[in-house]
Amino acid sequence: MEFYTYVNIFETKGLEYLLLLSFFALFIYLVRYLSGPGKEAPVAEEKSAMASSRNAGRAQAAKRKRG
Amino acid sequence: MNNTAVATSELNRLARFIWQELKPRGKWLTPFNIISIPTILVGLAILYFRFVDGIGSVTNLNQYYPLGIWIGFDVVTGVALAGGAYVITFVVYVMRLDKYHSIVRVTVLNGLLAYIFYAGALTLDLGRPWHMVNPIIGNSFGYNSVLFLVSWHFLLYMLTMAVEFSPVVAEWAKLEKVRKFLAGLTLGAVILGITLSILHQSGLGALFLMAKPKIHPLWYSEFIPLLFFVSSIYAGLSMIIFEGTISHKVFKDLLGGHDQHHYEEIVFGLSKGAAITMFVYYFFQALVFIHEKRWQLITDAWGYWYLLEVIGFLLVPCFMFAYGVRNRVIGIVKVAAVLALIGIVLNRLNVTVIAYRWYDVVKYYPSWQEVVVTLMVVFTEIWVFRWIVTRMPVFSEK
Repeated sequence: MEFYTYVNIFETKGLEYLLLLSFFALFIYLVRYLSGPGKEAPVAEEKSAMASSRNAGRAQAAKRKRG
Repeated sequence: MNNTAVATSELNRLARFIWQELKPRGKWLTPFNIISIPTILVGLAILYFRFVDGIGSVTNLNQYYPLGIWIGFDVVTGVALAGGAYVITFVVYVMRLDKYHSIVRVTVLNGLLAYIFYAGALTLDLGRPWHMVNPIIGNSFGYNSVLFLVSWHFLLYMLTMAVEFSPVVAEWAKLEKVRKFLAGLTLGAVILGITLSILHQSGLGALFLMAKPKIHPLWYSEFIPLLFFVSSIYAGLSMIIFEGTISHKVFKDLLGGHDQHHYEEIVFGLSKGAAITMFVYYFFQALVFIHEKRWQLITDAWGYWYLLEVIGFLLVPCFMFAYGVRNRVIGIVKVAAVLALIGIVLNRLNVTVIAYRWYDVVKYYPSWQEVVVTLMVVFTEIWVFRWIVTRMPVFSEK
């Protein structure tokens, strides 16, 4: 006679359920990871905008120093 | 002028135009031409003997090994790699993501040519190719068989892609009214094409369900149709990245309007899709692995070969895609696409050729003629692709 043990992770397909749960958890993590900020290379316009704001900041700081 | 005279002059104009376009352009002595022209000529000579003396005269196929690399690589792998066409048309026309609109034409052209050449290579592999028409005309054919579905789908999908690409041909031939009419058919053709693709990509896998005792248990699964379908999505996306990289270098002068930043954004978008699909596919594989208690099978050489495919050419490129997208490293993404493509080729060849009758002592290996004909098919497709993109507005749109 064969025995079916309810605590055996292989017989009860427990391993498959665990895998499925881990899939959902990791899938959410993957999607969040892929949608994250990342190091996007700035395009030329953004670069010049950044440079001009930096220059403006420096000019203001210099003005405050003089004042 | 009456209607007949107008039609005649229009036909004359079209004939002169096509004659002009058929004339070769550009340099002849390029490395690709030097390799491809002799290969195509030798391949044609081999095909002559194949059709005159029979398939056994040039291949190592026999009653035990009816599927060689002409089916394993050209048909089964080629169709998976052509999956990009249905994925991109779905993304652009159904999901309305216009970011990818600039690559629709070239992707559909690639898909169309892949089906014409790779699925067309089926004609070479059939012992009696004139029976090919039987599924279409219903001549003593098993209507319940998977092959019936696959053959009808191949035919219909090729027609659908021809309709999707036809506005480009009309635009090239300067037939404005015809172009407008054909462009109106695109959405219907796309929806039909997606439905057909999903069914025959999985149908190709279903063909192997009847070969359970012959395929190694690590590759055989009752879920093989689902695995074939899901893997065709990332195979198609990786192929677009790979071909796009080559086209970007080779046809640089034709891509004048497309800036580098836009191109990279498209590649990262495709890579994101590929990473997610590969992740899902990997878990399907893991689930099948556990469900079928395959851990008992991975301790020998076949097991290591299987792990190389699933980890080396599936999980690793999946992580590389994710890392490349997150950190905006285009080089990693391109390497990942190549690894993913190798993984797909390995997977399809494992199912059809390598792990097929894995228990035999004397196994099938392709003859040199089979390899040359396979190369001939690939090179001819590239020639036709090159001819079309250098003449028709494939990289630009009205």
